[in-house]
Amino acid sequence: MRRREYLKTAGVGVAGLLTAGCLQVEDGEQTSTTAETTTTEGTTTGTTSESTEPLKIATYDSFFGDEGTAGRWLKDQWEADHDTEIEYTAPSNGINEFIQRKQQDAGIDADLFVGLNTPDLVRVDESLPDTDLFDGLRGDLDNDDDVKESLEVDPENRVVAYDTGYITPVYDSTEIEDPGTFDALLEPEYAGTLLAQNAQSSDPGLAFLLWTIHEKGPDGYLDYWEELLANDVRVLDDWQPAYNAFLEGERPMVVSYSTDQVYYNSEEELPHHQVSFLNDQGYANPETVGRFAGTDQPETAADFVDFVLTDEAQANVAVNNVQIPATTTASLPEGYAEYAKEPPEPVTFTYEELAGNLDEWTESWAQLVASN
Amino acid sequence: MDRVLGPAGREQLTRVTDWLSGAAGRLADDADRLVLPVVGTGTLLVLAVVFYYPVWTVFVEAFGDAAAPIRDVLESEFYVGAAHGLFAHPTQVPGDVLAWLASVRVHAGWTGRLPEVWVNYPTVRKGLFGFTAWQAFLSTLASVALGLPGAYVLARFEFPGRRTLKALTILPFVLPSIMVVAGFVATFGTNGTLNGVLTALGLEKVELLYTLKIVVLAHAFYNAPLVTRMVTSAWENVDASAVETARSLGASPLRAFKDVVAPQLLPALAASAVLTFVFTFMTFPIVLGLGGLQLATVEVWLYARVQQLDYETAAALATLETVVSLGLTYVYLRYEARRAGGGAGKPLPRDRLFDLDLTDLRSALVRAGIGVYGVVVVLVFLAPLVSMVLVSVGGLENPTLEWWRFLVERQAGSRTQPSVAVRNSLLFGVGALALALPMGVVIAAFSARGGRGRKVADAVLMAPIAVSGIVVGFGMLQSLVFGVELFGYRVSVVGAAVVVAAHAIAGYPFVVRNVTPMLAAVDDRLVESARALGASRARALYDVELPLVWPGVLAGAAFAFALSIGEFDATVLLAGENAYTMPVALKRFLVDRAAGPSVGPAAAMGTVLLVVTAASFVVIDRVGGRYRP
Repeated sequence: MRRREYLKTAGVGVAGLLTAGCLQVEDGEQTSTTAETTTTEGTTTGTTSESTEPLKIATYDSFFGDEGTAGRWLKDQWEADHDTEIEYTAPSNGINEFIQRKQQDAGIDADLFVGLNTPDLVRVDESLPDTDLFDGLRGDLDNDDDVKESLEVDPENRVVAYDTGYITPVYDSTEIEDPGTFDALLEPEYAGTLLAQNAQSSDPGLAFLLWTIHEKGPDGYLDYWEELLANDVRVLDDWQPAYNAFLEGERPMVVSYSTDQVYYNSEEELPHHQVSFLNDQGYANPETVGRFAGTDQPETAADFVDFVLTDEAQANVAVNNVQIPATTTASLPEGYAEYAKEPPEPVTFTYEELAGNLDEWTESWAQLVASN
Repeated sequence: MDRVLGPAGREQLTRVTDWLSGAAGRLADDADRLVLPVVGTGTLLVLAVVFYYPVWTVFVEAFGDAAAPIRDVLESEFYVGAAHGLFAHPTQVPGDVLAWLASVRVHAGWTGRLPEVWVNYPTVRKGLFGFTAWQAFLSTLASVALGLPGAYVLARFEFPGRRTLKALTILPFVLPSIMVVAGFVATFGTNGTLNGVLTALGLEKVELLYTLKIVVLAHAFYNAPLVTRMVTSAWENVDASAVETARSLGASPLRAFKDVVAPQLLPALAASAVLTFVFTFMTFPIVLGLGGLQLATVEVWLYARVQQLDYETAAALATLETVVSLGLTYVYLRYEARRAGGGAGKPLPRDRLFDLDLTDLRSALVRAGIGVYGVVVVLVFLAPLVSMVLVSVGGLENPTLEWWRFLVERQAGSRTQPSVAVRNSLLFGVGALALALPMGVVIAAFSARGGRGRKVADAVLMAPIAVSGIVVGFGMLQSLVFGVELFGYRVSVVGAAVVVAAHAIAGYPFVVRNVTPMLAAVDDRLVESARALGASRARALYDVELPLVWPGVLAGAAFAFALSIGEFDATVLLAGENAYTMPVALKRFLVDRAAGPSVGPAAAMGTVLLVVTAASFVVIDRVGGRYRP
C-alpha cells in the first residue's frame, strides 16, 4: 500500500507544483506594480500614494549586500530622517533586465537604478530608440552642481554620477617594473605578464579596451591588440578570476582599479600592489544613478539622489564602495585618500563618442581575440 | 469462480461482497492504470511551461526574415571557419577544395635507416563551431580515459568505503565553476601544487594554465565522474551467470568480457560520452576562466551576444548549437536501441582490492595500475577541492578563521544567510528529485519500448540537456518572469515551485539515460507474464522492472539532485531575492565589498556546499540502496 501511495503522491506532486504558489496574475494596466518575491496566487493591485511605499532601488549585489557597504550606509542614514523606506534589489543581469522589460512592456518595479556606466547608457538608448527608460532626473536635483565636469556623461541630462573608479593595471613590483606606457606592454620584458578581462561581459575589461581605443584610435586599436596578443596577454572572463590568478602569482600584472591599495595597505603588501598609470592616465568609469520613467514617486527619488550627492554621503559612498567621490566638494578621510590613487590625467569616452561605435568596437576586438 | 453453497440469502450476500471487493479491485486497477497517463501528462505539462515555451520564444527570433540570422552565421568565416564557403559561395567550393588539395605537399625521403614521409598542408580554419567541437571531442576523450578505470575499480573491487566513494563521485558536478577555476589555478598553476611536487622531485615545471590542456582537464574533472557513475551502475547490473556460462563453455576471461560484459557496458559508456560531448560543446565559464577568450566557444559568444542584446545572432547561434547537440543525441539513441539486449540477475562478484597476492603477477599488475590511477585521481579531483577548503582558512601560510567568521556574521540577520541558503538548496533538491524521478522513469519506460519514430520523440524529450543553460535562462526570463499577456492580464510564473520544476527538467534526462538501457535489457517475458496475470502497465513497471533497474534509478536520482544543488541561472531568475540557494549565496559573497577582493568568503561558502552535498549524496546512496520498491 505504501508503494502505491508513493506513486500517487508523486503523480499529484507534478500537477500540484504547477498550480500551487507560483502563478501571478495582474491587471494588464497596472504593470508597474509586480510583486516579485511573493509566492501567492491572486491579483496584485497597486496604490499610488507617494509617502508610504518604499523607494525601490535596483542596483548590483555588492552595492548593498551587507553591513559596511555604501547601500547599507545610505539606507540607514536616509531612513533615520525620512518616512520612506529604501528597498534594494539586484537583478541578475543588471540593466539588461530593465531594457528587456521595457522592450516587452513587462512593467518596471523600481524607482531608481544605481550603478549605470556610460556604455550601459549607450546600450539603453540604442536598444530602446522609441521610448525612454530614464526620465529627466537632473531637472529635479538641487545638489548636482558640484559634480565633476569630467564625470558628466549624459548629453540628455538624465543620469548623474555618484562616484567613479579609475581602471589601471596593477602590478607586482617585486616581479616587474612599472611599464609606464602602452607601448612598453609590447616589449619582450612584458611578454606573458598581463591579465585582462573580456570586454563583452566585464566592466573593467571594457574600460581597458576603451582606454586602448582612446589611445590608439578606432583605426589603430586592433593593430595594437594584435601585438598585445602576440605578447601573450590573456583575456579572462571577469575581474574576479583574473585578480585571483594575479594573487596566486600566476601573472604579475592585472587590469584592475587604481584604489587597489585600499585593501593592501600594509608595508609587506604594498610592493605587490602597485598602480600603473599608463601614459600618466587612468580610464574613468563613473557610476551613475538614473530615475525610471513612469515611477510613481519621482520627488522622493530625486530627494534621495540629492542626499547621495551631499558631501557626507559622497565621502561615505566612496569609502564603502572603494571608489572616488563624484563631486568636487567631498573630502575623503586622510588614510583612505592616501591609498585611493587618482591618475594625473583621467580619460574617458563621452556618450557621444561611444554612441554608434560601442558594439562594433567590442565585437571586432572579441573576434580578433577569439580567432587568435 | 467457486460455486457458492448455502441458502439463497447467503448467496446474495456473497455476491454483493464479491461485487464490492471486485469493484474495489477495479478501482485500484483504475488508479494503477491511470498512474502512467497522469504522470506522463504531468511531465509534458511541466516541460511545456518551463522548457518548450520559453525556449521557443528564443528560437523564433532566429527564423525572422527568411532565417537571415542563421544564414548570416553560416556564411561567416569567423563562426564556421572554412565551411562558410558551403553557404556563402557554394559554386566555388569544388574549386576551393581542389586548390587546397593542389597545395598539399607530400615529401618522401630516406633517412638512411627509415623511410621519412611528411605532409605539408595549409591550415584549415575551424571557426568558432569547429573549435568548439574540437575541444569537446578532446574533453570527451579525456573524460572517458579518466572515468572508465574508476568504473572498473568501483564495480569489480570491494574495499572499505567503496559505497561512500561511489556516492561521492557525483560531487564535482555540483561545484560552481568559479570555485573550480580557483581550485585549478591553485593546483595546476605556475606556483600550484603540481609544480610544487614536480620541483620537489627535481623535475621541470609545467605551464598548463591558459592552454587548451587545462580546459580539457577541467572538463574531465566535471564529466569523468559522469562516465564513472553511469558505467558503474551498468556494470553492477551485468548478470554473473551469463559470464559463468561463457566461462564454463571455455571462454577466456578476456573473451568472456568482450562477448558478455562489454556489450552491456557499451550503451552506458556511449550515453555518458555523448552527454559529455554535449556538455562540453556547450561549455562556458571554465573556458574563459582557465583558457581565456582566446579559447572562446559558441556558448561564450552566445552569452556575449545576449549581453549586448543582439538577440538575432544569439538566437541563430542557439539554434545551430541545439541542432548539433540534438542531432548527436538522436544518433546516440538510434545506436543505443540496437545495442540493448541481455538480461539482469545476480551481479558479478567483487574482488578484494587490498588482498594482494604477490604470486599472481596479473593481480599484482592490476593493483599497481589502480595505484597509479589513484594518484591521478587525487591530483585531478582531490587537489582542487582541498585547495578550495584551504583558501577558506587562508591557506597553509597564513591560517585564519576570518572567512568563517564572515559567514557567521552573515548568519546574523544579513541579506544572505548561509543557513537559509543550505535549507533552500536542500528543499529545492528534494523537490526536484521527487519530480524528476517519476518523470524520468515514465519517459524511460516509454523510450525503452523502441519502435519507429520513437527515437525522434525520444530526442525531443531529451532536449533539456541539448539546449544551453543561457538559452533556457533567457527564454524563461522573457516568457515566465516578465509574464505573458493573456486576455488583458499579465500572467507571470515565478517562485519556488517553478524553480523546482526547472531543476527537475534539467535533472530528469539523467534518470532517463541511466534507466533506459537497463529497462531495455529487462527480459520482455517478465513484463508480459505480469501483464498476463492482470497487472497494469504501471504495476508491472513498478513491481517487476524497477527493482531490476534500481541502480540506474539511484544513479539518475543523484544526478537530478546534484544538478539542482549546483544550478545557478534559473534559480536566480525565477526564485527572486529571498529564495537563494548555496551557489547563489556563494556568488553574492564573492562580490561582497566588505571582504575586499578575496575569494575567501566564497571558498568558505563553497566548503559548506561541499560538505552539505557530500553528506546528502551519502544519504541518498545509503537510503536508496536499502529502499527498493
